[in-house]
Amino acid sequence: MSTREVIDVSELPHHEFDTYDPVWWGNNFLLAIETSMFAILVATYFYLRQNFALWPPPVAQLTATLKPLPELGYGTANTILLVVSCIPMVLTDLSARRGDRRWSQIGLLIAVAVGFTALVLRSFEYAAVYFRWDSNAYGSVVWFLLGMHMLHLAVLTTEAVLLTIWVFTREYDMKHRVDIVTLAVYWYWVVGIWVLIYAVVYFTPRLG
Amino acid sequence: MSESQKAQKTAEAAEVSNFTISEEELAAAMERERGELEKTWARPTGVWGWLTDTDHKAIALRYIVTAFIFFVLGGLEAALMRIQLARPNNHFLSPDQYNQIFTVHGTTMMFLFAVPIMTALGIYLVPLMIGARDVAFPRVNLFGYYVYLIGGILLYAAFFLNTGPDAGWFAYVPLSSAYSPGKRVDIWAQMITFTELSALAGAVVIIGSVFKMRAPGMSINRLPLFVWAQLITSFMIIFAMPSVMLASGLLASDRLIDTHFFNPAEGGDPILYQHLFWFFGHPEVYIIFIPGLGFISPIIVAFARRKIFGYTAMVLSLISTGFIGFGLWVHHMFATPIPQMGQSFFTAASMVISIPTGVQIFCWIATLWGSRLNLKTPLLFVLGFFWVFVLGGLTGVMLASVPLDLQIHDTFFVVAHLHYVLIGGAVFPLFGAFYYWFPKWTGRLLSERAGRLNFWLMFIGFNLVFFPMHQLGLNGMPRRVYTYLPETGWSTLNLIASIGAFILASGVLVFIINVVWAYRAGMVAGDNPWAAESLEWAVSSPPPNFNFHNIPVVQGRYPLWEGIENAPVVRGLSTTKREALVTSVMDAQPELRFEIPGPSIWPLMVALSAAVMFIVGIFTPWAILTGAILAGIALTCWFFGDPNYENHTARETGKKSPTISPVSRPPELQPKEI
Repeated sequence: MSTREVIDVSELPHHEFDTYDPVWWGNNFLLAIETSMFAILVATYFYLRQNFALWPPPVAQLTATLKPLPELGYGTANTILLVVSCIPMVLTDLSARRGDRRWSQIGLLIAVAVGFTALVLRSFEYAAVYFRWDSNAYGSVVWFLLGMHMLHLAVLTTEAVLLTIWVFTREYDMKHRVDIVTLAVYWYWVVGIWVLIYAVVYFTPRLG
Repeated sequence: MSESQKAQKTAEAAEVSNFTISEEELAAAMERERGELEKTWARPTGVWGWLTDTDHKAIALRYIVTAFIFFVLGGLEAALMRIQLARPNNHFLSPDQYNQIFTVHGTTMMFLFAVPIMTALGIYLVPLMIGARDVAFPRVNLFGYYVYLIGGILLYAAFFLNTGPDAGWFAYVPLSSAYSPGKRVDIWAQMITFTELSALAGAVVIIGSVFKMRAPGMSINRLPLFVWAQLITSFMIIFAMPSVMLASGLLASDRLIDTHFFNPAEGGDPILYQHLFWFFGHPEVYIIFIPGLGFISPIIVAFARRKIFGYTAMVLSLISTGFIGFGLWVHHMFATPIPQMGQSFFTAASMVISIPTGVQIFCWIATLWGSRLNLKTPLLFVLGFFWVFVLGGLTGVMLASVPLDLQIHDTFFVVAHLHYVLIGGAVFPLFGAFYYWFPKWTGRLLSERAGRLNFWLMFIGFNLVFFPMHQLGLNGMPRRVYTYLPETGWSTLNLIASIGAFILASGVLVFIINVVWAYRAGMVAGDNPWAAESLEWAVSSPPPNFNFHNIPVVQGRYPLWEGIENAPVVRGLSTTKREALVTSVMDAQPELRFEIPGPSIWPLMVALSAAVMFIVGIFTPWAILTGAILAGIALTCWFFGDPNYENHTARETGKKSPTISPVSRPPELQPKEI
């Protein structure tokens, strides 16, 4: 007769939220990569600023505009939209945790709508910066900041669309409930990092 | 699950646990289970199988072979340069060829060889060392390999078409922007993007696996030092690689869509490029070197036959190296206008970093001291490492001093230093690792006699090539210049270096012959030829596809020396699904039975979309959009397109797997109530 101690894991669940799930961690590592990318990009923004006496630089053609600050309209609207969108996202997050399919569906639809609206608003933001990407280094770095964040908005919206399709057409299983919670983490990150970029792009030139 | 079902299930479980079976019945049941596991974890075959296989061992071996081919190519380029420099006024290579060759040599060795091969060893060994059935994200792993392969092919296809990059492995602007028309630098920039993507994927895979896939009981303070090294390297990759992706991305956009990041005429800044590059470039040295340190510890432990001296000090040294490594980058830029205060800071940091490395070397010496050494080839390479690396470290401390650095900046002294550090710190341990783990990968031992020959040829050859370069640098011989005049008096030392290069190359040749021979006819190794202590030696050589039949419960830092045969095992994972045990980050308490994804074509498709995006993107910006859409489609299919995954076609046999009796759970390892 053979005797050996065992740990019986057959009763363990397959999925659980937050720190239990490898996918949640994988998403966080992705966000760590992207956070360092944005940190370096913001550092680049301020590094380039040292080369300019006026930031943003004067527009030669417009005699009236010595310091063409980026216009606040679309950017501010977008910021408000994104920050407010965190409320339905928190509700979606909670609904996935308690397994409320109806609320998850509604919340994800809201997320998709917000995502597309934010993308449209973003496309107007470029015009609110008085320069093109190829005008000067200021234009390059601002377009790049807005563009890299737009890329994340696009990926986030795509992810929301895919999950929406899933919760309407497929099983509302634990695996995809964990995915919704993970999407929410990504969502908060995209909004949070945007608030910082918004402050950098729209307000630091106004400070001095 | 309703209460009554739950009660019924518990009753069943209790029934099984009280049920004792005879040796024969148990053996038969285990055999049946093994058969099921083999079927469940079977690797796909044929060409399609090759494209879709997500087994971490298969991916890692491909990585290793690919990276080694690039190592040989990079070495051949080095040999061409040494032929060119063997005598003054030589016209073996044209200046343009020389420029391409030194650029492609550096780029290959750093991006296509050193980083990927270190990741590759991690991908092979980490899951085995932590007692996991596969990595946490096998498909991301496969994706990482394909983007790496595409990046490497891109570089060499361009090189053979005479479009190899020629602006140095770091492609400084403005040489790489205003003064490099044509597509050569674009090839470099996109190749960087591919390889960094691959490194980031590998890093996430390794951290994810180390955090969540460890065998129960392998709390963070029992993690093998190899795994610590891989973990810290992966974190460094996460924080360093985005910088070079930005550097190469901004360079490419300056060149392709006329942005002005590095164009001083429009407010851009060439020095910014150097900051972005070296903020990655210096941690890169440690990204290459820390895994090398990770190879050394298990080799020393196995051949000194004793536990490591100062485990905690070793781990803390690795971590502090990881942190300080980010504070050194400006010492590559002492020749640029950096404020003196800044220079002092970076000088200090460059000197401080030698302390944690020194701590580790003393710990290793303390482990070796007075032990009865089993002087096999892997240990020879480690001892070679001590010699070579310490010399490289010493010149590093010298170079940290600004006046000396300014004097010998861009001379062969720096070439000597960096090769002593990188070959000493990474390649010698790596060859030791090859000899050490080759039996695990193939089931056969490499020849010891050829191994000794290999070591001595490499060791003597290496010192002959690079030691004279210190003197050449002090005499003023500049780097990256295709020839020199006889009046300079550099001829003799250059000739010695060139002869050394061929001895070094013959060492590598002996290694290749040894591998080819041993693969067919080497001595059969068995599970644990070195009587080593870590978990990878507990499984057969080569390991089964599922790695561990019964996942062991780890009870110490040296599981095989602490009676793993009698340690408890994990029961209850499915044998008909690709189930793995997920445990908690710090204490490795069992948390989930997590189903790991299996073979898939979509990682390759996403990698190919990235290829469209970046390679065709050199010629038209529209390819970026096209590639992004293709990648979106591929990712959508990745998300939806696999009905075989997650409970859908799990082959439930209906037979209850036997539980070894009596069931008892060690109290500290109770599965957590969730």
